[in-house]
Amino acid sequence: MAPTTAKTGSAKGGKGASKRSTKPSTSSSSLKGKKAGSAKPTSKPSQLKTKSASTSTKKKKPPHMRYTEKELKVPQLNGIRPAGVLKPPNAKKGKNFVDDKDSMNAILAMVMAEKEGNIESKMMRARQLEEVREARKLEAEKRAESKKAGFEERKQDIKEHKKKRQVTVGDAVADEARESKFSKMAKKPKKRVSFG
Amino acid sequence: MRPLTDTETKTLFTKLAHYTGRSLNNLLTDTAPSTTTTPTSQPDRYVFRIQKDRVYYVRESLANLATSIARDSLLSLGTCLGKFTKTGKFRLHITALDVLAPHARYKVWVKANGEMPFLYGGHVVKAHVGRWSEDVPEHQGVVVMSMSDTPLGFGVTARSTGEARRLDPTGIVTFRQADVGEYLREEDTLFTT
Repeated sequence: MAPTTAKTGSAKGGKGASKRSTKPSTSSSSLKGKKAGSAKPTSKPSQLKTKSASTSTKKKKPPHMRYTEKELKVPQLNGIRPAGVLKPPNAKKGKNFVDDKDSMNAILAMVMAEKEGNIESKMMRARQLEEVREARKLEAEKRAESKKAGFEERKQDIKEHKKKRQVTVGDAVADEARESKFSKMAKKPKKRVSFG
Repeated sequence: MRPLTDTETKTLFTKLAHYTGRSLNNLLTDTAPSTTTTPTSQPDRYVFRIQKDRVYYVRESLANLATSIARDSLLSLGTCLGKFTKTGKFRLHITALDVLAPHARYKVWVKANGEMPFLYGGHVVKAHVGRWSEDVPEHQGVVVMSMSDTPLGFGVTARSTGEARRLDPTGIVTFRQADVGEYLREEDTLFTT
């Protein structure tokens, strides 16, 4: 079974190959020959030429056909634009894209100037606030110092006063003792009662 | 995919300018390193393109090639900068960090002990700050860097530099807006549109 199938396959393949080899070669050559010979090289350039020529003639009208709208004696239409309409009819619709370097640079310069100004003003304000804060701090310090000094003074005062009082009180006691001694000496002897 | 309109461009630039200085101009003038050997061909500039609501910073030649892909099928191209919200505001994504960091105006350097808290989504506290740019106003965009100058993310200052000096060590200096930890944390949603 196997060899027969192989044979048939090979035979078929051979036939197919031979057909392929013969047929396409003839057909292609013939087609190519026809195409190459008749249409392609000669006709295409000529067509192109005629096209370009026709377009050029279309653009250039004869002098009597050259006229503008104004020269035609057509009555003028009402050209007043209504108040609500802002855009001219032939303006670009939709988004305005920014893709060229110059307009981007312009936007960037604007933004940067704004930012710099902002930062500058922020810094200025921060500096001013800092100055005010410093001044306030100094004042508070001064006030605290003066308060403390006053307190100390008062404390000292009280201390001195106490000492003075102590001294004065002590002196008084000593004086009294001394005085009493002298007075005892000087005074009459105490009256005594004796029941003897 | 289309170029941005003028209002969109303004919104985008305003947001970018919040973090960058004057050198933002370089974004427009930068050109891609030429792969072709022919010197006559014009250098390839970068452009902004919007696809759905996301804005991409992309090489012009790549953007032109991408026009051959249907809008529905186009997932992403170039560097995603962020997206426009429905109300017309612009939100920067962490993917914009590579574009922002070289042009940053103000920076905050975070010490090694503060890197991980920041990368896990925390704000920057004063105790973690290694150093910061001088004269930074309040609520100003800053780029957060590690001490080895690796950009870690960006945020907004909570206090001006002067006020932050008087702050206690646990006080927040910079509010986090995006950090590179998002590449892992938001892996599922970061690139879906």
